[in-house]
Amino acid sequence: MKMAVFWGCRILTSQYAYEMSVRQVFPKLGVELVDLREATCCGDPVKSINIFAADYLAARALALANLTGSTDLLIPCNRCHFTISEAKHRMEINEKLHLKIGELLTEEGLEYDPNIKIWHIIDLLHDAVGLEKIKETVKKPFRGLKLASHTGCQVIRYSDLGRVDDAENPRKLDELINMLGAETVDYSEKLDCCGAALTYSHQDAALSLAGSKIKALQGLNVDALVVCCPACQMMFDSEQKDAGTAVGAKLDLPVLYYTQLLGLALDIEAEKLGLHLNQSLVDKLLTKIPA
Amino acid sequence: MAEPNEASRRKILVKLGRDEFLDCFQCLKCTSGCTALKLLELKPHEIMKLVRLGFVNELAASEIIWTCATCLKCVQRCPQKGSPYHVIMALRNLAVEREAKVPEAYLKAVSQILENGLSQTIQKITTRKMETFDRTSLKLPKISAPKESFQAVFFKALEEKQE
Ligand code: SF4
Ligand code: SF4
Repeated sequence: MKMAVFWGCRILTSQYAYEMSVRQVFPKLGVELVDLREATCCGDPVKSINIFAADYLAARALALANLTGSTDLLIPCNRCHFTISEAKHRMEINEKLHLKIGELLTEEGLEYDPNIKIWHIIDLLHDAVGLEKIKETVKKPFRGLKLASHTGCQVIRYSDLGRVDDAENPRKLDELINMLGAETVDYSEKLDCCGAALTYSHQDAALSLAGSKIKALQGLNVDALVVCCPACQMMFDSEQKDAGTAVGAKLDLPVLYYTQLLGLALDIEAEKLGLHLNQSLVDKLLTKIPA
Repeated sequence: MAEPNEASRRKILVKLGRDEFLDCFQCLKCTSGCTALKLLELKPHEIMKLVRLGFVNELAASEIIWTCATCLKCVQRCPQKGSPYHVIMALRNLAVEREAKVPEAYLKAVSQILENGLSQTIQKITTRKMETFDRTSLKLPKISAPKESFQAVFFKALEEKQE
């Protein structure tokens, strides 16, 4: 299976562990990844300024994916996944918008062919690669680990757009974790937002949101929180110390990407999965995994 | 003095690509689950009510439209498909057109994109063991920046007023 990849901004500029682990695990599961050339922002922060310009950026990403010859595009970031999916939808229902954006793309010699399927790591792993295949490929299953999942907001909402899992009761990430032998917990804060978008305007509120969720999870004695979006990872992992200050609690919960966890179960070295880059205390988790 | 303004109200409708606002019956489903309610006092149902009544100029000038966490719960849960999130985004766009006060970080993201295509600057990461890494030392491929022609096209897209 050949898959073009749109990384977006955050993964390429700071969330390197996601990129490293995605690049490591997918080829082992029979998915060949092809990078886009000269990719730009998906348009997410631009929506607040000018929705049309944001749609143009999203369409540009799709046009670049068309250039690779693949009709499948993997977008590992929840926010990019939503922005591009929604722009694609808007162009489908609004011919005038489609034509106007098409004209702009032509100026760069680009053309957008709507015949492209958008994937996230959740549905790519769960629905295309398949749970069974993942289970078979696992070399070092985890025993006795209790993990919490955070699927995030924009990859599951809103359902009319066609999202990767149920908007109110997402289960796929949990099932993917279970395939690696670990247990998952249900918790009442599961759907709480990481707050990342508020870092643009209300940093304190953003940190409070992230901090409250981690604080609640610490109370449940989970071994780690598993995420699948660079914005969520930024809030729960990179900013965990400040999030703790914001909620007046000492936070020390390991947080990692699902692709890092999967990589460990596939017996890939921690460093190749970028686990040395996580800011939270993932060592605490690693010592619980037999070498 | 706050007063309804029909022209501005129409502007929001055009941005939303709608002829009329969907019937919001003030059920509060959006507000009760809103991520920004507790910390920032965002009440999406109130925004919906004010927009329908035409108090668009007031909202575009207000800081409340910048408190949305974009969690999309209101879009998902509104029984009327009223999409407060989309209304808030349209109001933000109008605020920008009116040159109202816009959070600096959004403007910075746009200028960053004009400069090199990405909304963020490339960072070095200091690890828990105080070692520093960048894309090169992590053996990640070099990022290829877009050609200059992109800048001109993106600039043109930004000039578009969606009217
Ligand atoms: S916008 Fe929708 S959810 Fe909110 S009060 Fe109106 S009808 Fe209810
Ligand atoms: S998208 Fe914004 S307005 Fe809607 S529920 Fe989330 S934070 Fe509230």
